[in-house]
Amino acid sequence: QPKQVTGRVFSSEDKSPIPGVSVFVKEASSIGTTTNIDGQFTLKNIPANAKTLVFRFVGFQTQEVNIREGEISVTLVPETQKIDEVVVTAMGMKRDRKALGYAVQDIKAEAITRAGSSAVGTALQGKLAGVEIKPSSGMPGASTNITIRGARSFTGNNAPLYIIDGMPIASNADYSTGNSVTGTDVANRAVDIDPNDIESINVLKGQAAAALYGIRASNGVVIITTKSGKNVKGSKAVITFSTNYSADLISRKPEMQSTWAQGAPAAGGGYSFNPYASTNWGPKIADLPNDKTYGGNVANANNGNNASKYPGKYYVPQLKDAGYEEADRWVTPQVYNNVDDFFKTGYTLNNSFNISQAMEKGNYSFGVSNTTQEGIVPSTSMDRYTAKAAAEIKVANSWKTGFSTNYAQTYIMKAPGANDGLVATVFSAPRNYNLKGIPYASPTDPYYQILYRATNFNNPYWAINNNKFDEKTNRFYGNSFVEYSPNIFGDSDKKLNFKYQLGMDSYSTHFQDINEYKSKNTLGSINNYGITATTYNSLLTVTFDMNITKDIKFNLLLGNEINQENNKTYSESGSNFNFGGWAHINNATIKNTSENQSRSRTVGFFGNLSLSYRDLIYLNATGRQDVVSTMPRGNRTFFYPSVSLGFVLTELEALKGNSILSFAKLRASYAEVGQAGRYYENYYVTPSYSGGFWTGNPIQYPLSGVTAYIPNTTQYDPNLKPQNTVSFEVGADLRFFNNLFGIDYTFSRQDVKDQIFDVPLAGSTGASALTMNGGAIYTNAHEVVVSINPIRQKDLEWSINVNFTKMDNYVKELAEGVESIFLGGFTTPQVRAGVGSKFPVIYGSSFKKDAQGRILVDERATINGVANPYYGFPMQGKPDVIGSAAPDFTLGASTTLRYKRITISSTIDWKKGGQMYHGTNGLLSYTYGLAKSTEDRTSVFVYPGFKADGTPNDIQRGGSTDQAAYYNLYANTLGNIDEAFIFNNSYVKLRELTLSYRLPKIKGIDINVTGFARNILIWTNLPNFDPEATQGNTNMGGAFERFTTPQSMSFGMGLNFVF
Amino acid sequence: EDAMDTINNNPNNPKKVESRFILTDVMTSTAFSITGSDYAFYSSVYMELNVGIWGQMYNAEKRLVDPASATTYNNSWNAQYRNLYELKTSIEQCSENGPEKGNFVNLGISQILFAYNLAMLTDLMGDIPVTEALQPGKVYQPRIDKQEAVYTEVFRLLDEAILNLGKATTYPSIGNQDLIYKGDKAKWIKAANALKARFTMRLSFRSAKYDKVIEYANASFTGAAEELKYTYTGSASVNPFSRFFQDRNYFGASKSLSDKLTERNDPRSAKFFKPATGQSSVIFAPNGNPEQRQAYYGYSGLTSVTAPTYLMSYHELQFLKAEALVRSTPSQVAAAETELVKGIQAAFVKVGLTATDATTYYNNNVKARFDANPLKEIMIQKYLASYEDEGIEAYNDYRRLKAMGDDLITLASTLQFPQRFTYGSSDVTTNPNVRNAYGDGSYVYTEKVWWAGGTR
Repeated sequence: QPKQVTGRVFSSEDKSPIPGVSVFVKEASSIGTTTNIDGQFTLKNIPANAKTLVFRFVGFQTQEVNIREGEISVTLVPETQKIDEVVVTAMGMKRDRKALGYAVQDIKAEAITRAGSSAVGTALQGKLAGVEIKPSSGMPGASTNITIRGARSFTGNNAPLYIIDGMPIASNADYSTGNSVTGTDVANRAVDIDPNDIESINVLKGQAAAALYGIRASNGVVIITTKSGKNVKGSKAVITFSTNYSADLISRKPEMQSTWAQGAPAAGGGYSFNPYASTNWGPKIADLPNDKTYGGNVANANNGNNASKYPGKYYVPQLKDAGYEEADRWVTPQVYNNVDDFFKTGYTLNNSFNISQAMEKGNYSFGVSNTTQEGIVPSTSMDRYTAKAAAEIKVANSWKTGFSTNYAQTYIMKAPGANDGLVATVFSAPRNYNLKGIPYASPTDPYYQILYRATNFNNPYWAINNNKFDEKTNRFYGNSFVEYSPNIFGDSDKKLNFKYQLGMDSYSTHFQDINEYKSKNTLGSINNYGITATTYNSLLTVTFDMNITKDIKFNLLLGNEINQENNKTYSESGSNFNFGGWAHINNATIKNTSENQSRSRTVGFFGNLSLSYRDLIYLNATGRQDVVSTMPRGNRTFFYPSVSLGFVLTELEALKGNSILSFAKLRASYAEVGQAGRYYENYYVTPSYSGGFWTGNPIQYPLSGVTAYIPNTTQYDPNLKPQNTVSFEVGADLRFFNNLFGIDYTFSRQDVKDQIFDVPLAGSTGASALTMNGGAIYTNAHEVVVSINPIRQKDLEWSINVNFTKMDNYVKELAEGVESIFLGGFTTPQVRAGVGSKFPVIYGSSFKKDAQGRILVDERATINGVANPYYGFPMQGKPDVIGSAAPDFTLGASTTLRYKRITISSTIDWKKGGQMYHGTNGLLSYTYGLAKSTEDRTSVFVYPGFKADGTPNDIQRGGSTDQAAYYNLYANTLGNIDEAFIFNNSYVKLRELTLSYRLPKIKGIDINVTGFARNILIWTNLPNFDPEATQGNTNMGGAFERFTTPQSMSFGMGLNFVF
Repeated sequence: EDAMDTINNNPNNPKKVESRFILTDVMTSTAFSITGSDYAFYSSVYMELNVGIWGQMYNAEKRLVDPASATTYNNSWNAQYRNLYELKTSIEQCSENGPEKGNFVNLGISQILFAYNLAMLTDLMGDIPVTEALQPGKVYQPRIDKQEAVYTEVFRLLDEAILNLGKATTYPSIGNQDLIYKGDKAKWIKAANALKARFTMRLSFRSAKYDKVIEYANASFTGAAEELKYTYTGSASVNPFSRFFQDRNYFGASKSLSDKLTERNDPRSAKFFKPATGQSSVIFAPNGNPEQRQAYYGYSGLTSVTAPTYLMSYHELQFLKAEALVRSTPSQVAAAETELVKGIQAAFVKVGLTATDATTYYNNNVKARFDANPLKEIMIQKYLASYEDEGIEAYNDYRRLKAMGDDLITLASTLQFPQRFTYGSSDVTTNPNVRNAYGDGSYVYTEKVWWAGGTR
């Protein structure tokens, strides 16, 4: 046996030597070295019993070589040629990719982190087929709605199950944004995951892939593996430090008119300036000095009837409230850019540090990271600290134990949207009003707001300095395990393995919504609320492997899982502060507290059977029996089966070794999974009076010491049973020319029956909703993943990856008497699910149309002898479906080009089709008269509609004799028809662009420098705004917008050091 | 299963409550959400007590989409049926076979409030679901009942309520849970009679029973202290008009109302209106054609967080009695005048003036008009007294009078007058019976309710 070995390592591609390859002894991994610049290595002190050397290098397959005398020459094969990839599937089972009878897609760390995204959800955009990712806004920590292969529930949960290192963890928001028309967004708990700590993400899309998880599996599973010491190359500790910084800017801003001032057309012709109007239908800004009440060129009460005192200026009454001297209240008309003034450049700073090592007896990994983010809207921010520790150790020959723990602290400061929108008074600020320049409060009373419109709206500057919306989470999650692999079968191919894992996910989140004294003309309010949630998960699995014959392999897994969730939420709300400046519950004159406890338990027994014949046919069957506590007695136990088949055509003799078709597999699967609802016996509640015309809650029990209870307006059907999803999936995975080109196609169909949701009832039934099995929905999904690797040279590599998704999610039927259900929004418009339509649709007041669907115009020139101001304008029709949010298809494409040490990558996202209700666009264009499209108010026009007799409208409006025509069309007609607020929101986005350079090693330190940009280019049908800023963390997400915090784009730089 | 039952137990909410806790909220909801809010806001616009100068009220003023849209009254529609469902629960609990069998007081109160809510619904919406309504999870699409049948039920309930309230009960008094009368049976009986007077008069076009109106009125309130009204704490609960002003600020002072007051040199003018912040005098908004402009037109001077909501006021009862006396055969004009004066006095006290002010005003400015046309002046005084929050009754009276051929109250707006309110959109979208009746909503301008001469 030689004590010393020398050799050289080459690449199989161009036969050139590879420097930096890690070489170590398999039997004693602490003995190792790396190849020099010429690919040469020398390894000394090799123990006598050592037989094998291991060669590892990034981008190449690991290779093992027997130790022998003489110079060893090793040729490494690039990883892209590797077919027998191992993927992690349900319950942590590792399977060859080619053995799978269903689609899974995985993403490696590099693709997640390269553009410096601070959230897992957005980092995945454009990189997966069949997965829809809808961010709500550009606010730090904003919720992201992820659905895999469409929705299975209208109002319930469609989010996939997250499994981190084998432990299911909470990823949803604990508080729904409800109708998403008031208040702030609520972050979902996936926000606690630092993308930098992720090693890989596997997405189990279909139900067959996930069926082993039983009742929680119907929405697919996102399996996250965090960094561990397991895959560390060589034997020494690897220290990684990475840092990135990015500047965030508002991604798109509205184009505004710059001619017209606040006010409205005057009754007797002309325009009337109104310094307290939110509408901009008044005189030209340049004409303000000529206004009869406020103009300096006209004698009026404000200038002491002296027209020569302030010529060319006009009076701004708000400046009086601001304490300005009389002469300073007169200003020269000017156009202000209030939007640019308000938004600032935000930033994101991310630092993470990790140390990992693999040793003979085990491995460990410790890491800490911090993300600090400030949003483009002042007062929004996120601070996240995470720490993790994981280790694994072989304690005896057949025993292994380990743990993985994570701690996260997340603090998010938010801005409210929709009716409470902070940006409402920014986007709609009149062009003649200096929002930033005019003080936001009286100098004598800091709570007396000064604004361009009436007092029940907040001045945004006052709001960011006085109101506060935040949430703070402390979270611990992790698990530990013991694994026993007894060597009872000796050297035979039979293997038995027991594993027990106990995990916990425990967190508490505290929310504060503070509206300071005099916010929105109220006496203020505070709501402190939060949740303490603890989930325990116990998992026992037994696996048995054997080869029945030489060709037939057998694998069996049996297991038991118990999942117990205990939640407690609390709320302490107070309103009507005694005085300003102390926005604390102790200063509130009305106080209310409540708490809510809930528990649920799921017990599951499951089994998985795999059979394979050679490398040709793979058969997998699973079954799981679940018992859940949240359903009514007698309806708690369910069984979920799945079966899948993979058939590798290229293993057939006829196709083997084919130089064109390098790999071909057909796959098919069938599965049934379910979803439970939350059933309670009908109960009574203390009613709330918020909503409707009211800001806040105008009636708060107890009243003079008495309280009241009424039947809860949502009732429960005692015959509730779980909803069931039946799905099948077929697919083909084809690769050509030695993997130069690959295409993976999947068709899947899901049929969801007995959907559980709160079926809306007619008001006349006395209740508003009934929790029952009330609908069926089906989804046809086509997913295509194309990968092309046209160039694979040592110095030049180019790869392209395209993900195409076409998903048609239809509502098949709803409970009797229900034609559509409410998902969110205002009384009108709303987002709904309706029978026969794609999910979801937008419902609201429509244009009055003829039988052919053409918009009709009002042909009455006069009404009761008075001229009809709406003559020739469209009319309101019946309430109807006015828009469909579902896209025709989405396509994400990523490409990576590496030349020597430089790598360029980019991701493009294309969403084709789909509509949304865009409240801000509508309000700016119609009601407020601020959008660029309202610049022209003098030309004669004909509204493009039709007359009742079918001829095109020819009624001319506008011009000098009809000055109010534009106002009556936009503000009074279109502004009142919801359908006018529907916009197509197809887009193409340059989602990510990165350029990185890997420095030559300096003193053994690997340094990688990356410059990146996110969300920088958008082409879209939607005017003025980024279509990816919408309201809500619920299923209406993506379809509804009204004064949502806008999206951001980022430019940044990252540094990565590996020691 | 038992273990799972334990886990799924809901510790946060009660599964049963006594009727008194239900009634507390029905009273609050009826006053705040039904009589005091949306219905009253829109009625006050149609009846020119207020002028809508912003948002939905501006749309209502201009008869843009809102008066015919199913979403306009949806919140009140739902709240009112919720009240009825709660009352049905409470009636069942206090009836034979119920857990509170023999609780006649709570039963009687429940029946009065049921009748009150039901009558208001049918007055505003016409034919409505009743017999098949209020069965969640059993009947999803209740059929519509005729208004005439609904009114039969209203009278039956009030008669039964009076009987039940007269019975002895061993149950403890509802006490403070009764936010209106603190469990005073006698006052509830008087309230039931007042409502019978109101509803009997309502049906006068179909079947005039003025002697009955007088009879019921005589069995009712003897003074404002007994009237059916809900009082707000001013903090935990506030008058809806004051909250509407604070949260929305959609109303301006009505020109046509002011003109009527000025014509009579009415001292209430100074109480009714005040100038907008920053304005030196009250600018009145022209009815039907105001500028959409906040903080410009005058505001209501009556708005106060503690102003009560009148479900049935003493002054209304006096005006009803006066009208019945004038209309009865033979016409009793002198007796009517006495009641009218009492009504005006109560209306003056309501807005912070005195009974003496009222007498002076009557003698100087009203008497001559009364002598010239007693009926007209009674109805105009009733109309003026309804400012600002009793607009629903003003709206009901206006439609009834038109049907009876008595064109006594002149409105200034030339825009089309809504003859009724639309059904709620929760039914329009899920209940085909209601959807068909609703059509495209344009029926509100053409179809009168049954008691106003229509068919539905």
